[in-house]
Formats: sequence, structure tokens, C-alpha cells
Amino acid sequence: MINELLLQFAQWMEAQEYSQMLVAGYYSYSWLEATHVLTLMVSIGSLFIIDLRMLGLIMPDVSASTIAARLHKPMIIGFAIMFATGALLVYAKPVETIQSLWFRIKMFLLLLAFINALIFNARLKAADGSWDMDPVAPKAIRIGAMISLTLWCGVVTLGRYIPYDWVDCTNTNNTTILWAAGCVEQLNAL
Amino acid sequence: MLGSLFSQYARTLLVAAALLFIVLVEALGMREAVYPSLLPFFTWMRESSWLGVIGTTYGSIYATVEAVHLLSMAVLGGTVLATDLRLLGVIFKDVPSETLVTGTYKCFKIALLMAILTGIFCAAGVGDKVYYMQVFWVKMLALLAASCFMLFIKQPLLTSRPHIEINPWSIRLLAITSILIWFTVAAAGRWIGFS
Repeated sequence: MINELLLQFAQWMEAQEYSQMLVAGYYSYSWLEATHVLTLMVSIGSLFIIDLRMLGLIMPDVSASTIAARLHKPMIIGFAIMFATGALLVYAKPVETIQSLWFRIKMFLLLLAFINALIFNARLKAADGSWDMDPVAPKAIRIGAMISLTLWCGVVTLGRYIPYDWVDCTNTNNTTILWAAGCVEQLNAL
Repeated sequence: MLGSLFSQYARTLLVAAALLFIVLVEALGMREAVYPSLLPFFTWMRESSWLGVIGTTYGSIYATVEAVHLLSMAVLGGTVLATDLRLLGVIFKDVPSETLVTGTYKCFKIALLMAILTGIFCAAGVGDKVYYMQVFWVKMLALLAASCFMLFIKQPLLTSRPHIEINPWSIRLLAITSILIWFTVAAAGRWIGFS
């Protein structure tokens, strides 16, 4: 049911004039993709510095809260651009993207990363700050940083997998993969 | 006298000599002479080297290494931006710039090494394709220039004395040059995918 609804929504988006313009433009899609990838340096670059500081692997002589606070703004700007360009990339090729298994797992990991970020921030705020100048953060914060690093490595890797067609709807007969990727027509044909 | 002058400006002279070498290579037509002789190497990289064979046979390994390359560039860019924006006085105003310059350097070097190693693997997989791409050579030259700039000019200058003793405009110029040159590397790398 959910797969049918998603497919209908994707087909509706694909029929939009602006969606077709984004793909048809000689440079528009490339520029969008380039901006999406290059903003990694600002968003994930900043995030990794914060996480690595919590693990005591970078700038242990600078207070952890200072690093987190000072990099928060560039990180949010980077993520905002990444999400905006990412949404436009999906809008440009909606059916192909929504029926990509990698895209679906990537979205799931993004959701987990978002939940982890909320918990991580809550723990940072709840901490009394006595460890702020310690080279390594307390265990709970370190675990949050490790999970964050792992999830974002997964997000980037899966983003890189999306253009490859190994498990595209037309390249597999495995019903589990077809269901997970939302290949409605192929599932109905089986 | 000459010896002490040389030791005092050794790095500057080295960079000037490197620039002169590049100009001579171009002016004497050496680049055109060398370029065709590199094709067999690139073909060998793709068809015969184990890097090329793995890259062309196993698409999933190639894509995963590409992702590690991207992540390395993200960390490299993050450390460069954090340091350079501090040098420009945009962020981390309450942290001494010396702390950031030394504190991020190890991470930068590891990220650069990872980016180069994974980049070699990626290039090997499409060796005879990238050889003909102008943007690939732009990236290689930009990478060489950026690495030399970082290792031989920016870092030695910024760690040689307290930043208060360095002309503020020199520091700003270093930071802007650094951002522009690394952006060129990353943008050229991205453009390889579209060519």
C-alpha cells in the first residue's frame, strides 16, 4: 500500500514541468549534484570535527563545548544546503530515486542520525560541564559520537551507491528486494 | 652571507624554483612531449594493475572506495575550513588561532593521505578514461599545488612564530588562498564525474 502511494506521488512529481526542466537542463542537474556533494565539507566536515573532539582524537586542549558551539552554525548551514539540494535531486528524478533500495536505506539512516543528534544534544545539555576540558568526553557522549560517525559514513556510502544499478527494479527478481525498493510493477508482474 | 640568506629564505626559494620549473616545462614544450608517453601507464593501471582489475570487476568495492574518498575529502575540507575561517576571524574567535592550526593538522594529514590512496584506486579503475579528461589533470595540478602550499608554505609559516607577530594581511591571504585552492581540487574532482 505504502509503496503504491509513494510511486503515485513520484509519478505526479515526475509529470511536473519543473522536474523535467531540472533533468533536461544541460548543467542544472550537475550543478545541483556538485553543490550537494561539495557541501559535505561544511556539514559533515564540521560534524566529524565535533565527534572526533568528543572521542579525544582532535584538539583535546580546546573545550568540547566551545568546539560544538562554534561549529554548530556552519554545520547547520551546510546541512540546510545539503537537504535543499538533496530534495531537488529527488524532485528531478523522483520515480528512479524512490524505487532505489539504497536511497530508502539512506533515508532510514538519516532518520536514525537525526534521532541520535537529538539524544546527543540532550546529553550535552544535561551534562554538568565538569568534563568540558577533559581530553575525552564521558562514555555516554563518546558512544553518541561513535554512532554519529558510523551513521554518517553509512549515509555518504549509500548516497554513493544510488547511481549504480545493481539492485534496480529491472535487474533483480528477488521479491524481498523488490518489495524493499518499492518496485510495484515488477512485484505485480511476478 | 649568501649561505645565511639562503637558509633564511630556503622555502621561498624552493617555491620560486618550482614555479620556474613549471614555466620552463610549459615554455619548452616538455608537457606535450611527456603527455603521450603517460598513456601506456594509464592503460596498464586499468587493465593490468590489481587496483584496476578490482575496480573494474567489483563495482561495489569501487563505489565503497569512492565513498571513503568523499568522506576523506569531507574531513579534509572540514579541517581546512575550520582553520581558515578562524584565521579570517569568522569563527572560533575565542580560541587562539595557533591552537586550531596545530590541533587540526594531524587530522588534515591523515585525511589527505586517505584521499590520495583512495583517489589512486578510483583513477586506476577508469585509467584510460581520465587520461583524456582535461579536468582530471586540472585536479592533479591543483592537488599538487594545494598539498605543497599547505605543507611547505602555510603550515611552516603559521607554526614558525605567534600569529600576532605575522602581518594580518599575510594571514588573511594565506587563508583565502587555502580555501580557493582546496575548493578547486574538490570542484574539479566532482566535475570528473560529469565529464
